[in-house]
Amino acid sequence: MIARVKEYLPLVVRVILGGVFIYAGVLKIADPVAFAGNVAAYKLVPYFWSYLTAAILPWVEVISGALLVCGFRPKAGAVVIALLNAVFIVALASAIVRGLDIDCGCFRQGGGEKTSPWIALGRDVVFICMALYIVRTSGEERRGVKRA
Amino acid sequence: MKKASSRLMTDVLLVFVVAAVLGLSWNHTLLLKAWRGEATSAPPAAETQEVPGPAAQEAVPLPLGLMQVKELYDAKEAVIIDARDMQSYEAGHIKGAVSLPLGEASKGAPPSFQAEVPTAKELIVYCNGFSCHDSMDLANLLIKWGYRTVYVYEGGYPEWYGAGYPISQGRKP
Repeated sequence: MIARVKEYLPLVVRVILGGVFIYAGVLKIADPVAFAGNVAAYKLVPYFWSYLTAAILPWVEVISGALLVCGFRPKAGAVVIALLNAVFIVALASAIVRGLDIDCGCFRQGGGEKTSPWIALGRDVVFICMALYIVRTSGEERRGVKRA
Repeated sequence: MKKASSRLMTDVLLVFVVAAVLGLSWNHTLLLKAWRGEATSAPPAAETQEVPGPAAQEAVPLPLGLMQVKELYDAKEAVIIDARDMQSYEAGHIKGAVSLPLGEASKGAPPSFQAEVPTAKELIVYCNGFSCHDSMDLANLLIKWGYRTVYVYEGGYPEWYGAGYPISQGRKP
């Protein structure tokens, strides 16, 4: 039983993390203006850069998520997601330090309930752990598939 | 080992490059508008007779900084709109600002507002500063209603108040 869990856990983590990032990216691609507003709310970059970030970042999320779900170059996808989450954590921490009560802008853009920076920060720590787990196990998983 | 890590780095770089190419091409119209500082593009002559449709949907609310808002305010060139609820408005608002809470506007365009503010007028929408998105949401609604030049003052009431610029209390603008 434990052996089976060990065999399939990397696959499950990979697909879940990939799915989450595809979902997050697609929501942002659908409403880049609202996402630019969310980026601007962090007050970290000049406004045009908010639009530029809003234009490119969601695609990074979708592509790296797709790499994880498909299992094609999953290590690269996981490294990108770990890097993204490291940047998100720094941005959220700076928002908390500066006392900005903002919506993290992680998923649904604009309106609705706000996700506090603290919750988003905790979530990003979980994502970074999942990504690092994939980086560590992606070779083993391939061996597991071969065995099966 | 070295070969594997350099391949991983190439893959990572490739993800960013492909994302940049896709993102820039997918959003090129939006980025060009933001770069040129255009809040909206005036609809082509052929479309001016139509109700706000595709042209209005392409419009982008342009953010303004404190100094730009103050310039327009002093020149009395724009209508300032407060997107917060009435309670916040009464507690304190930019002097001369019109109250149009997002909650009310979401139900539909108030006829009194549309009668008083012509669509050609420049609008500046604000709320509680960088932490709130109501101004951006309301700005998008105003564009859908046909207003062509809509700005978002992201610093909002806290920044304006902090700068010591004119404010007012109560229900009157």
